Amino acid sequence: METEAARNAKESLELAFQMSNILETGLDRHTLSLLIALCDRGLNPEALAAVVRELSPPPSKEPISYSSSSRACLYQP
Amino acid sequence: MDDPKTLDLVKELVLRLLSTRSPSPSGDPSGDLPHALRYAHRLLSSRMSPSLAPDEPAMAESIKRQLAVSGRSADALAFADLHSKLAARSGPGSVRNRWALLYLFKSLSDDRRRADPILRAPAVGGLPALPLDPHPARPTKKALASSGGVLLVSKDPENIREIALREYADLVMEETEVSESALVRDVLYACQGIDGRYVRFDKASDSYDLPESLKLPRSTRTMVRRLCELGWLFRKVRRYITESMSQFPAEEVGTVGQAFCSALQDELSDYYKLLAVLESQSLNPIPTAGSDSGVPGNYLSLRRLVVWLAEPMVRMRLMAVLVDMCRNLRGGAMAGAIHGQAQHGDPLVQEFMGRLLRRVCSPLFEMVQSWVLEGELEDVFAEFFILSQPVKAESLWQEGYRIQSVMLPSFISPTLAQRILRTGKSINFLRVCCEDNGWADASAKAAAHVGTTTRRDGLGYGETDALEALVVEAAKRIDQHLMDVIHHRYRFKDHCLAIKRYLLLGQGDFVQYLMDIVGPELSEPANTISSFQLAGLLETAIRASNAQYDDRDILDRLKVKMMEHGDGDRGWDVFSLEYDARVPLDTVFTASVMKRYLKIFNYLWKLKRVEHALIGVWKTMKPNCIISCSFAKEGPVKMQFVSVLRRCQVLWSEMNHFVTNFQYYIMFEVLEVSWARFSEEMDAAKDLDDLLAAHDKYLNSIMEKSLLGERSRDIIKTLFTLFDLILRFRSHHDRWFERINELQLRGRGKSRSKSKEPGSWVDGGRKAMIQLAREFFRIMDEDLDTIAKEYSASLDAFISQLPMQQHVDLKFLLFRLDFTEYYSHLSSSK
Repeated sequence: METEAARNAKESLELAFQMSNILETGLDRHTLSLLIALCDRGLNPEALAAVVRELSPPPSKEPISYSSSSRACLYQP
Repeated sequence: MDDPKTLDLVKELVLRLLSTRSPSPSGDPSGDLPHALRYAHRLLSSRMSPSLAPDEPAMAESIKRQLAVSGRSADALAFADLHSKLAARSGPGSVRNRWALLYLFKSLSDDRRRADPILRAPAVGGLPALPLDPHPARPTKKALASSGGVLLVSKDPENIREIALREYADLVMEETEVSESALVRDVLYACQGIDGRYVRFDKASDSYDLPESLKLPRSTRTMVRRLCELGWLFRKVRRYITESMSQFPAEEVGTVGQAFCSALQDELSDYYKLLAVLESQSLNPIPTAGSDSGVPGNYLSLRRLVVWLAEPMVRMRLMAVLVDMCRNLRGGAMAGAIHGQAQHGDPLVQEFMGRLLRRVCSPLFEMVQSWVLEGELEDVFAEFFILSQPVKAESLWQEGYRIQSVMLPSFISPTLAQRILRTGKSINFLRVCCEDNGWADASAKAAAHVGTTTRRDGLGYGETDALEALVVEAAKRIDQHLMDVIHHRYRFKDHCLAIKRYLLLGQGDFVQYLMDIVGPELSEPANTISSFQLAGLLETAIRASNAQYDDRDILDRLKVKMMEHGDGDRGWDVFSLEYDARVPLDTVFTASVMKRYLKIFNYLWKLKRVEHALIGVWKTMKPNCIISCSFAKEGPVKMQFVSVLRRCQVLWSEMNHFVTNFQYYIMFEVLEVSWARFSEEMDAAKDLDDLLAAHDKYLNSIMEKSLLGERSRDIIKTLFTLFDLILRFRSHHDRWFERINELQLRGRGKSRSKSKEPGSWVDGGRKAMIQLAREFFRIMDEDLDTIAKEYSASLDAFISQLPMQQHVDLKFLLFRLDFTEYYSHLSSSK
């Protein structure tokens, strides 16, 4: 059974994911959850954006499938 | 970000990203994992930081606007809805750093859109971040520190800054009646000493100022005043130059002053050049506050003017100081004063003063050079530190030239100045007194040796060492030449020796003959003696003695001199010898020196005469064995005679002891010792001054040691009393022995007649004669008594005064005179 915190986190992640989709960032859920965790830990969002930009595939390719996330609740707040 | 949790997360992220990137069949992204991980770490620890202040609503607003602008208003609404939902969540599990998340989204979405052909203006989600703005949400210090060194480049599309600046400019314009460019132009005019439209010279306050009525900010007014100090200084300098130049024909300024003026003029023309450049720049419009584009960079504002004029200001101030200082100075004094100012630590000032001084001092250095190398004093305006005075040839060396200490600049040391003076003086001395031209070679050689030619522009200020070298070299050679001329051509040493031999009675046989010959003549009253006759006698004495082998030239210079005589003076008192030292040797043997020689001669002549008198006494006293025989028969008379005679002899020998020892002392311990020292110093003398000093020392030591000095006035009086007593003894003695001879003759006549015709009257006559003789001996005894008493009193006084004399050599005289301590016993027993 999910705890209150996990549920809350999951909903937040869902919201964030929708925002991300609106802005066409091309992030999947899992990656997004990792990024949120890192942001909450105070890492520089600009640097994180640079990491994602450098390591993710070029945008000209096929859009990434969003359904591959099965470990969304991996991160602990 | 160093904690393991974060590291794990980063690793996870990287792994995730890699796996999505390479959907290759191998499926193993771990191959390039370490590489990617390192790369991610480097990126994360870089100093990249958001250029925006963390402001969540502003960021959300910006994203919404961007979506709306790009025609996706539905998306924008959805986004706003999602954001408000996200923001509403709180508690565990919610996203805490929403701003960072939004920023991340925006950043990534911007990246995606980069490929779009239409470049949109980059949207900014807020105000630019200030570098040191503490971020409340940043937990780690590293992130805080990393934000410090970032250059923030951002533009405000709303032109807030420009608007503010424009408002400020309007505010400034309200306060200011006059435009800055007008002020700049006025200041530039004032710097040239010209009144401008607003900036005018105020005579009452002696400064440039803006009228009080003009409405200006206080800072502008202060700046204008500060800049106008330059104008005030400039006026001062320019006035000095024009005044000096207008005075010039009246011979008030002098060459150094002219050089100073021209140097100042040159500085001013440099200054004019700068002003011309500034003036051309002042034509460029000054950008008003607020509009900062489209204007040329080299416009001139008051502030820029302050910077431009800072260095000229320092220079002008220096010039003004110099002008003030040199107002009443001329020549070397002026150069010295400027030199005094040049002792400054600031290299700018030093360089400037050096340049100025080189110009100012060039006339002085020219003068030094022509003086040292040619002996010419090209000093029309009396500026040089050497001053010439019109004098006769004989005193040319002593008084012809002297140093004017006022005109001696401080960069020439007094010893160097002395050397310069002496070198030129030597050349002039050679030219005028010795009629010698060999110095030209010497000076040319000296100049060649030092390396500068006799050309004018050889030396300048700051080359004092070179100058010194030149002077030293020239001095060495010219002095050497002068010494050669004096020693070889004018035979200085021979003349000194001749003076010693004749005037200081060094030539014994000559003096003896002279004394013998002129003695009878000199006993006559002074007014009956003819100097021609004495000159003839001198010639005879020369011929009769070894002096005849001496050089004719030297003997010709020896002359008899009769001093002024009064009533009752004898020949002894006025006779003296003289040595005629001609040009150029009269520089050494000046009139005053010859007077001292004369004094010494008279003294020695007197001593010689006393000695001569004593010898004369001895001559008559010696054959007295015959006399004693004649009184053989009369017992009591004979006894009386013998006793008187013995006392006479004792007194004589006492006198002889004194005179001989004194004579010995004078001859050997005074004259010869002094001469030996003098001839040593004469050989060592490098220049004429040394020679003069040596000669002076020689004469002084003779005077001092032979009791002729100022301090031995009392003792010399006693000495002369002694001499007088001896001479009196001599004259008494002559009379006595005349009488004795007479008595003797009579006695002999008696005894002869007695043998022929004996008679009673003979006995009576004999008795009378004995009576006579007895009476005579009594008187003689009395006279002898007085003389002996006076003599011993005087001698006692002399010996007691002797130890009080300063000179150490006089102690030896005392030992000599009182060798057996007879006199000291005598005086202590009294």
